[in-house]
Amino acid sequence: MATTIVSGGETSTRTGVERDWMAWALGIVVVLIAAMFLIYPLVNAALLAFVKNGEPVSVANLTFANFARFFTAASYQRALWNSMYSGVAATLLATALALPMAYAVARIDMPYRGLISAMTVVPLISPPFIGAYAWIILLGKNGTITQWVHAYIGWTLPAIYGPPGVILALALSYFPYVFLIVQGALAAADRHIEEAARMAGASRARILGTITLPLVLPAIAAAMLIVFIKSIGDFGVPSILGGEFQVLPTLIYYQIHGFFNLGAASAIAMVNVLLTLAAMATLAWIHRHRSFVTIGGTAEAAPRHTGLGARSFGNAYCWLVIVVAILPQIVIALASFAGRWPGTMLPESYTLDHYRAVWSQLTRPIANSLILAGGATALCVVFGTATAYASARDRLRARWALDLTIMLPFVLPGLVVGVAYLTAFNSGPLVLTGTALIIVLAYFTRRVAFVFRSVATAIAQIDPKLEDASTICGASWGTTMRRVLVPLAAPAILAGAILVFSTLIGEISATVLLYSAKWKTISVAIYELVLGDQLAQASAIGTITTVMTLLLVLIASRLAGKNMAELFR
Amino acid sequence: MADAALSVRNLTKEFAGRSGNVAAVRNVSFDVGGGEFFTMLGPSGCGKTTTLRMIAGLERATSGDIEVDGKDLRSVPPERRNIGMVFQSYALFPHLTVFENVAYGLRLRGRPRNEIDRRVAATLALLQLEALSGRHPANLSGGQQQRVSIARALVYEPTMLLLDEPLANLDAKLRVMMREEIRALQRRLGITTLYVTHDQEEATAVSDRLAVFDGGRLVQVGTPEEIYARPRTLFVADFIGRANFLPARLAAPGATAQGVVLADGTSLCPQRQVRLEAAEVASLPAAEDGTVMIRPEHVALSATDGEIACRVQRVQLLGGLIRYTVRSAASPEDILVEVTRPVSDVSEGGGAFLRIPREDAVLYHR
Repeated sequence: MATTIVSGGETSTRTGVERDWMAWALGIVVVLIAAMFLIYPLVNAALLAFVKNGEPVSVANLTFANFARFFTAASYQRALWNSMYSGVAATLLATALALPMAYAVARIDMPYRGLISAMTVVPLISPPFIGAYAWIILLGKNGTITQWVHAYIGWTLPAIYGPPGVILALALSYFPYVFLIVQGALAAADRHIEEAARMAGASRARILGTITLPLVLPAIAAAMLIVFIKSIGDFGVPSILGGEFQVLPTLIYYQIHGFFNLGAASAIAMVNVLLTLAAMATLAWIHRHRSFVTIGGTAEAAPRHTGLGARSFGNAYCWLVIVVAILPQIVIALASFAGRWPGTMLPESYTLDHYRAVWSQLTRPIANSLILAGGATALCVVFGTATAYASARDRLRARWALDLTIMLPFVLPGLVVGVAYLTAFNSGPLVLTGTALIIVLAYFTRRVAFVFRSVATAIAQIDPKLEDASTICGASWGTTMRRVLVPLAAPAILAGAILVFSTLIGEISATVLLYSAKWKTISVAIYELVLGDQLAQASAIGTITTVMTLLLVLIASRLAGKNMAELFR
Repeated sequence: MADAALSVRNLTKEFAGRSGNVAAVRNVSFDVGGGEFFTMLGPSGCGKTTTLRMIAGLERATSGDIEVDGKDLRSVPPERRNIGMVFQSYALFPHLTVFENVAYGLRLRGRPRNEIDRRVAATLALLQLEALSGRHPANLSGGQQQRVSIARALVYEPTMLLLDEPLANLDAKLRVMMREEIRALQRRLGITTLYVTHDQEEATAVSDRLAVFDGGRLVQVGTPEEIYARPRTLFVADFIGRANFLPARLAAPGATAQGVVLADGTSLCPQRQVRLEAAEVASLPAAEDGTVMIRPEHVALSATDGEIACRVQRVQLLGGLIRYTVRSAASPEDILVEVTRPVSDVSEGGGAFLRIPREDAVLYHR
C-alpha cells in the first residue's frame, strides 16, 4: 500500500524557497519600493494636512487649522457638499441607466450582445474630460442641440455648466462599471436555483423579485460604490463642466495652482480620502455579510427571454444608451474634422486643418506620454507581478497590509496622489519636482493595482504543485519563476500591462499637478487647448487619443484571450 | 393526490445540431403507478435527465404526451404543475435561511402564517433538520443541503417528487446512507417518485421499477430482478451488474434451439435465447452468430471439473466476495467468476476448469 504524500492546502513547499537568496532579494526591493513610493508620499501628505502651510512637520506644529476651514469657509463647505451630492446623483443615474441594460444583455436573447458589451468599454477608456467638453459642444450656450431645440421646439434648454452637466457626464462615463459587473453576476447565476423556484410555484416575475435581484444585490452595491468613489475623485469633468460648481478635487487644484497651499490641499485631500474610505468600508461590510457563493452550480447559463416584445425592447434600450454614451466621442470626432459648424446638426464643411495644426505641436506631447506611460508600465509589471506572487501564494503574514498598500492608491483620486507626490518630493532627501521620474512614479502608484489584481488572480489559479514539481526536478526559485510561473501568468501580466499603458495615456488628474514644461503629456495638451477655448484642435488630439487607446485595449484583450469587457471586471 | 399516476407516451426531444436535428430523447413511453418509486437509469447523455426535465416542464417536448392522472400536462407551465423537484446541485436559495428555503413554496401559495410555520416545522422534523432552521446554505454540509432540498420539494405536498441525480455530489458512504433514507421517506409518504441516476447499484437498491436508457431511447423497463435476470439487450446486461460475454457460433445454422459452439469448441445450449435488435446485430463480427452472457456468480469454477480449460490470472478479495479473473480460449476477454467461498486447489497463476450452467446462460443472437 503506497504511503500518501501529505498534500496541504494551496501553499507550495516552504523549505526549498526560503533558503533561496533570490526570493529574499526581490522581497527586500519590493518592500523598499513600497515604503518609499507608495507609503511615504501618502503618509507625508497626510501629515502635511495637520501642519500650517510652509511650516515643517513636527509635533509642536500639529494643528487642525487646515481642517477648520471646513467649518469656517463657505467655499470648503460647498465643495464638500457638492462632491457628495454630485457623487450620489451620478451613481444613481449611472445605476438606473445600467441595470436594465445589464438584465437585457444577460437574460434576453438579443443579437450582437457581444458588440454591446464591447461598446460599453469605450466610455471607460476615453478620458472622461474629453467627453466633458463634447457636452459643451452639444449643450453649451451655442451648442448644437441647444440651438436645434430652440429653433424647432422653442424651448431654451438650461446651460450644461454646473451640476446637471457634471452629473450627466460622470454618469455616462462610469455607468459601464455597473453594467459590466451586474451583467457578469446575472450571467454567472446558477440556473438551477431559478428553476427550483419555478418548480416551487413561482412565476417569472416572482423569481425576478425574490431570487434573481436579491442575489445580484451585492454586485449592484459593489458597482455603485465604485462609481461613487470614481465620481468624487474625478477632476477632469467638474473642472471643464463645473463652472462655479466646485467639488473637492477642483478645490484641491485651486489651492495648489492659486496659492500653492500644500497644507490646505492636503487637508482637502484627506477629507476626500475619508469619503472614499467610508465608501470602501461599506463595500467590505457588504461583501462580508452577504457573500453568496453559488459553488457547485452548473456551468449552463440561465435561460433567456425569447419573446419578440422582450427582444425589441431590450435592443432598443441598449442601443439608445450606447448611442448616448458614445455620443461625446462621436461629437469630438466630428468636431475635429469640422470646418464651420454653426450649431447645425452636422458640420457645414469638413477640413483637416485642425489635424494639420496640431500635428506639429503633437510630436512632443505624444512622445512624452508614451515614454512616461511606458516607464510606469515597466515598473508596474515588475513590482506588480512580484507582489501578486507574494500575495497569491500567501507567503507573507501581513498579506492584508500588502493588498491595502497597493489597492489604496488605486481608488484614491488622481489629484490626491498628485498632491502626495508634490509634497513628498518637493524638498527633503529626494527632490523630484519637475522631473520625468516624479510623473512616472505617480503613474506607477496609481496603476500598479491593475497588474497586481490581474496577475494575483491568475497565479491563484495556477496549481502551486507545478512549482513544487519544478523544484523537485532541481530548479532554483528564480528558474522556476522564469520557466514555469511567468510563462503561465504571461497573458494576465500582458493584460494588466496594456491596461495600465492605455489608461495612462489619457491620465490628467495627477499629471496636471506634476508636469513641467519639458514633460507635457497629451492630456495636458488637450486640457490647455480646452481652457484656451480651442475646442476643434483639442478634439483632434482627443480623437487621436481615444482611437489609440481603443486599439491598444483591443490588442490587449486579444493577447490575453478575453473579450474587452472581461478585462475591466 | 400525492400518489398520482404518470403516463408518458412517445416523448421526443430534438435539438438543432450542426448538421440537422439531434434527438436527445426518442419516442420514450412508460407508465408510473401511484406511489411507485420509478428510476430512470443510464450512462451520461442517454436522455434520462432531459426526460425528467420535460416531465417537470423545464424543457419543452418536441412531440409526445405527458399525463398525470389522466390530465394532459403539455400546456401547463412548470410553476403550476405542483411537482416537487430535487436538483443534483441542490440549488438552495443562498440568501435565505433553511426555514425560508423550505417555506418558499408555501408562501407562494399564499398560505397563512401559522400554517406555514406548522408545516415547515413538520417537514424539517421529518428530515431531522429542526436544529438547522436558522442557518444559511453556505453553512451546511453536503448531506444537510441535500435534505433541505428534499424538504423544500415536499413541504407543499406535491403530486409527484422528481429527483435528478441527487446523490452524485456526496461521498460514497453518505450516498449509501442517503439513498436508504430517501427510500424510507418515500415509502412512508407513499408519494409517486421519479428518480434519475447513472449508478446502477443505487438504482437496483431502491427502486420499485427501473427504466434503462441508452442513446435517447428507452431500452427496457422492469423490476430490478427482471432486468438483472432477463436483460433484453447486451447493453442492459452489461450495464446492470457484471457480465461475461462469450462469442458463439450456432451449432446448426439457422436453428438456435440446437445450441452454440464457443470459441474453444465447447458446446452449450443456453436455456434462454434473445434476438438482438438491429443496432446490436450490426456490432457483431461477421463470423459470430451471437454472444452468450453468463453472470460471474453463475460460472462454476473448479480445479478438476469443467469443459473449458483456463488459467487463473488474478484472485481478488472484494468485501464478502472472491473474484477470480481467468483467461481461456472460450473468449478473447478474461472471464470473471465470483464466489463467496474460495475454490479449493485453485490459485493465481494455476490452471482450472469452468462450467457454464445452461439454465443461467443467455444467448443473444442475430
